[in-house]
Amino acid sequence: MNKDISTPVKRADVSEKLMGTACYIGDMELEDMLYAKTLRSSEPRARLVSITYPEMPSGYFVVDKRDVPGKNIIKMILEDQPFFAEDVVNYIGEPIALIVGKDKAVLRELIAKTSIEYERLKPVFSIEEGLEADTPIYGECNYFAEYRLKKGNLKEARSRAKYICEETYETGYQEQFYLEPQGVIAEYKDGKAVIYGSIQCPYYVKNAVIECLGFAPEMVRIVQATTGGAFGGKEDYPSLLAGQAACAAIKANKPVCLLLERNEDIEVTTKRHPSRIKLKSYIDENYKLTGMEADIVLDAGAYAGLSGVVLQRAMFAAAGVYNIENLKVKGKAIATNKAVSGAFRGFGSPQAFFAIEMHMEHAAKTLGIDPLAFKLRNILKQGDKSTTGGIFREKILLSEMVDRVIQMSGYEEKKKLKNANEYKRRGIGLSMFFHGCGFTGNGERDHIKGRARLVKNEEDHIEILIANVEMGQGAQTTMRKIAAAALDIELNKVFFQNPDTDRVPDSGPTVASRTTVIVGKLVYDAAMELKTKWETGKRQEAEVQYQYPEGYQWDNDSFEGDAYTCYSWGVNAVEVEVDPITLESEIKGVWAVYDIGKSIDDRLVRGQIDGGIVQGLGYAGMEVMENRQGRFIQRSSTDYIIPTAKDIPMIQSELMCEPYSDGPFGAKGLGELTFVGSPIAYALAMEDALEMRINNIPVRPEFLMEVADDDKRN
Amino acid sequence: MIKEINFKLNGKETILEIHPLKRLLDVLREDCGLTGVKEGCGEGECGACSVLIDGILANACLYPMGKIQGKEVVTIEGLVGTDRYAILKESFEQAGAVQCGFCSPGMIMAAESLLRRNPHPLEQQIREAISGNLCRCTGYNMILDAVQMAAKRGDGIW
Amino acid sequence: MVAAYRPKNLKDALEAIIYTEYIVLAGGTDLMVKKKQGAGLLPAFDKPVLFIADLEELKQINEKEGYLTIGAACSFSSLIDNPLIPALYKQVFLQIASPAVRNIATIGGNICNSSPAGDSLPLLYALDASIIIENSCRRIEIPIADFITGPGRNMLTSSELVTAIKLPVLHFDYVVYKKVSARKSTALSKVSFVAMAKLKDSRLEDVRIAFGSVAPTIVRSRDVEEAIIYNSSNGSLDKTEIISYYTTLIKPIDDQRSTAFYRRQVCKRLLVDFLGNWLC
Repeated sequence: MNKDISTPVKRADVSEKLMGTACYIGDMELEDMLYAKTLRSSEPRARLVSITYPEMPSGYFVVDKRDVPGKNIIKMILEDQPFFAEDVVNYIGEPIALIVGKDKAVLRELIAKTSIEYERLKPVFSIEEGLEADTPIYGECNYFAEYRLKKGNLKEARSRAKYICEETYETGYQEQFYLEPQGVIAEYKDGKAVIYGSIQCPYYVKNAVIECLGFAPEMVRIVQATTGGAFGGKEDYPSLLAGQAACAAIKANKPVCLLLERNEDIEVTTKRHPSRIKLKSYIDENYKLTGMEADIVLDAGAYAGLSGVVLQRAMFAAAGVYNIENLKVKGKAIATNKAVSGAFRGFGSPQAFFAIEMHMEHAAKTLGIDPLAFKLRNILKQGDKSTTGGIFREKILLSEMVDRVIQMSGYEEKKKLKNANEYKRRGIGLSMFFHGCGFTGNGERDHIKGRARLVKNEEDHIEILIANVEMGQGAQTTMRKIAAAALDIELNKVFFQNPDTDRVPDSGPTVASRTTVIVGKLVYDAAMELKTKWETGKRQEAEVQYQYPEGYQWDNDSFEGDAYTCYSWGVNAVEVEVDPITLESEIKGVWAVYDIGKSIDDRLVRGQIDGGIVQGLGYAGMEVMENRQGRFIQRSSTDYIIPTAKDIPMIQSELMCEPYSDGPFGAKGLGELTFVGSPIAYALAMEDALEMRINNIPVRPEFLMEVADDDKRN
Repeated sequence: MIKEINFKLNGKETILEIHPLKRLLDVLREDCGLTGVKEGCGEGECGACSVLIDGILANACLYPMGKIQGKEVVTIEGLVGTDRYAILKESFEQAGAVQCGFCSPGMIMAAESLLRRNPHPLEQQIREAISGNLCRCTGYNMILDAVQMAAKRGDGIW
Repeated sequence: MVAAYRPKNLKDALEAIIYTEYIVLAGGTDLMVKKKQGAGLLPAFDKPVLFIADLEELKQINEKEGYLTIGAACSFSSLIDNPLIPALYKQVFLQIASPAVRNIATIGGNICNSSPAGDSLPLLYALDASIIIENSCRRIEIPIADFITGPGRNMLTSSELVTAIKLPVLHFDYVVYKKVSARKSTALSKVSFVAMAKLKDSRLEDVRIAFGSVAPTIVRSRDVEEAIIYNSSNGSLDKTEIISYYTTLIKPIDDQRSTAFYRRQVCKRLLVDFLGNWLC
C-alpha cells in the first residue's frame, strides 16, 4: 500500500455497528447470569449507622465491603476510594452494596425495601466551602493535590509592568453522556476472575481487580466489549464496577452483570471538573505579557480519582499559547461531597484555556487595544519555553492558522458588520490553543512504560496486540493502517481485536491521544522490526517497549522540563446570533484549523474534529449541570441537555502539518485538541454579540438575563 | 398477566405470550434477540431504540406491547438485506457517519423513515429528521452527509 | 400483576371504564417515562391500563362550520400531515419533542397530562378549544381552561374519556409562536408564548395571548385581551398597564430547566415585543 496514509479507508468496525451486530456489554449474556443492582447513599456525607435489608429470597444476596477478598480500595493515584462504602459515605449515589439475583424486578424491590440509618456529618458542597472546611473529607486540609510551579522572575515582571489585569473565571460540570451507559459482566471460573466491560483502559481495570480480589495477576483477565463512546468517562470508573462485579461473581459463583441505567450513570459516574481560575497578568508598555500569576482550583468531588493529574494538565496550560517568561502557577484539587470528578476529553486543559483566552481578550479590551493583535503579539514561537521551562522544539504554525481561519470565516468583515441588524445580534469569536499529547510529565517514562506486540502467523497475517481500545475514535483502523503502511502490506492482512489482557501486553490506557502518538509509534516500531526479520510463511513476533525520546527532560518534583514531548495546535472561530428577546443563541458558523502533524486518516480526523467541536459547544452554551446540597439538579436524560442535529451548523475545517518526529508518520495528538477551542470561541462570540464580558461557562440565557436586568434598566 | 400478542416482526408473523405492558424495547432485545435495538436512555430522548412501527419511526422504549397488537415492526435487523439498507450502509461508511456505533442502528432507521417520506431531503429536513437521535461522537454533520449521499445514490429506490 | 385492556371500539372502551378504574394510555410517551422502572422491567402501573391509541373513533379529523374536531388519539404527526389543519397550528405541533415522539404522542394525551409545559396547550387556550368528554351515556363539551384545573390535574373522572378536541379555524393577521427551550429538538419548554392579532381596516379586531410553563396552568386572560382591543380602538392603550396585568398572572418557578427570573423577563419581553410590533 503505497498511497498516502491520510487517505481514508473503510473503518474496521463499521459494518457490524451499522447492522447492529456489534456486541456491546448490554448485548452479552452468559449462561446462568445474575444481575446486580447498586444500593446507594442518599446522603452527601454521613456515617453509616445500620443497614436493614429485607429478607432475601433464595438465590438473592447482598455483596458489600465484607465480601471484598482483597483490599477495599480502588487502585488509582491515592488510596482513598472504596469499592463499597466502609463506615462513611461521601456523596449522594456512593455505592454501599450490591444486591444480586436472577430477576431485575425482585432486585429493585429489595433495594427499595432496604433501609439505611445515617448519622449526618457536615457536608462540603463547593470550592469555597472546601477551601475552608473545618472537618476535611480528605487529609488535613481537604485537598487531594496542591502544586506550585515557577518560571523566571515574577518579581521583576511585576515591577516592570505598566498594566496589571486580574480576573476570575469559572467553568461548570460536564457529563460525558456517551450513548452507551457503563457496564461490566464478571465471571469466576476455576479460580480466575474474568471481566467483560465497556472500558477504556483494560490494564487499569485489571490492576484494580487484582488488588480488590487479592489475586495473582494471571488469575484476573479483562476483555473489552464493544464500547459505545467514552470520552474519558470510562477511564477510571469501570475499575469500580469491575471490582464490585468480580466480588459478586465470586460470592455467587455465577456470572454477574452490572449495568448502569442512563440516569444512574448521569448521577454517579465521573464528570468534568468544575473550576475556578484566577489570573493576574503583568503587561509592559509595548503590550508584551511579561508575567502572570495563576491560581487554579478544581472541584474534585468526594475522592481523589485522577484529579491530581487533571490539575497538573490544567496548570501546565495556564499560559495558553502565549510566551510568558515569568510565571507562578498554583493549583489545588478540592474535596467536596459530590460525585467524583474525573477524566473528560481535554483533562483539565479546557478549563485553563478558557481562562487564559478570556483573560487575554479582557485585558486587551481594558487596555483599549485590539484583542487579536494583542494575542498575536504574545504568541509562542519555536524555541520559546513552556510553562514548565520545556522547549517548543517544532515549528509553531499558529499565526498562519489564525490567518487561515480569519480568511475562512470572514472574521474581519464580520467584526465590522456586527449588529448592523439590530433585531438579531451577531458576534464572532476566535480562539487559539494547543494540546500536549500523551501523558503529562513522567507518566509514559516512569509509570506506563507501554509495550506493543505484533504477531505474524503462517499465512503472513499480522495481529496487533495492544491494550488500547476502539471506543469510536477509530483506533482499530488507525493502528491497522500504521502497521500495514510500516510493513508495506495490504490493510486486510492486519487484524486488531478488542483487547483481552490474557493476550495483549500492557500498552497503557486509551487516553490523551497516546494511542496514536505513543502506542501508534510502538506499533510502527514493532512493524519495522518485524519487517527486517520477515520470513514468509513463518510465525513471528515483535515486541517493543516505550523509550523516552532523546533530548527531552522532566523533573516531576519541581515540575521542570518538558511536560510533553509533542504539542498539537488549533485555531477556531465561532459565529453566533443572539435573540435579543430571549437571549438564546444560535450558532451560525464554525471554522477550524488544526496542526495535528500527519493525519493518519482524514475521515477519522474530521470525525474527531466535528465531534470535539460540538461537545465543546455543548459545554460552553447548553450543558448545564448544577449541584445543590450535593444533589445534581439535572440528573436525567430529559434534563441534562446535549446538542441535537438541529443545534449546530456545518463545520468547516482544515489541517496544517508540522510533523512530530517521534510520532508514527509524524502524527500528533487529535481527540482532546478538537474540544479545547470551541467553548472559548463561542464565549467570545457571545461577548462580541452582546458587548459584555463573559467569565463563566456555560453561558446560560438565564445568566445573560440577570445581566441585562430589564427592571433596573427601564 | 400474560397475553397473546400477534404482530409482524421484520416481515414474519409473530405470536408472543407476553405481558402487554412490557416495553417493545425489552421484548425485541430479550425475547426476540434483536440487540441491534439499543437502550440509551429509556425515556424517548436519545433515539437509540428507533424502530419502524407500521412504517413510522418510533422509540421502542415508549411502546408497551399491548399497543403492538396487529402492527408491523421493523428493526435494523429487518432492514439489513434490503437494497435501501445497502445504500444507507455504503453512504454511512463513506461519509464517516459511524464512530462508537451505539446510535448507528437508530440513525439508520431515522434516515430510512425520512427517505421513505422524502427521497430528496434538504439539509434542514435531514437535521429535523434525525433530531431525536442523539449522537455524542460525530457532531452530526457526517451523518448529514451520509443521508444526502444515500438520497443521491438511491434515487428512485425510496 | 396489573391487567391491561385493549378495547375493540369506543363503546367497548366507555363500558370498560364504568366499573374498573383504568389508567388510559394513548401515545404513552409521558406515561411510559413516568412509570419506567429500568431496562428489562415492566413499567410500574398501579392500575389496569386501557390502550386507546388504535380506536378509529378517536383518530378522526373533521371540519364543519368553521370548527375542527380532532380525535383525541390523533398523533401530532398525523395533525402535521393533515391538510385540514391550519399552518399556524402545525407550526406549534412541529416544535414538540422529536419526530419519533410526535409519531407516537397524541393531542388528547398532551391535554390530559395537563402539564403547564404541555406544548400544544397555549395554542389550544388561545383558540378557546373545547374538550369533548364522553362516558357511556353522555357527551359533554368543556372549555379547555375549565377542563385543566392545575398542574397535572383536570376534571376528567375515571369513568370518562376525552374523545376529541374541538377548535375553531381562525385566521389571524399577526402570529407569534415562541417555544423557549435549551435546545432545538427534544426539549421541554422553559417558556412558551402564543400571541395572535386580527386586524380589520387596520383596527385591532381580536387579540389572543397565552403563556406556557410560567404558572400552574396556562396563562391567558380574555379580560385583558378585551381591554387591549377596546383601548387600542380608542387610542388609549397603556402597554405598561397591560404588562402589569400579566405580571400578576405569571408566577414562574426555579427548576432544573430555568429560573423564575428568566421566565418572567422572557414573558415580559415577548409581550412587549408583540405589543410594540403589531399593535402600536
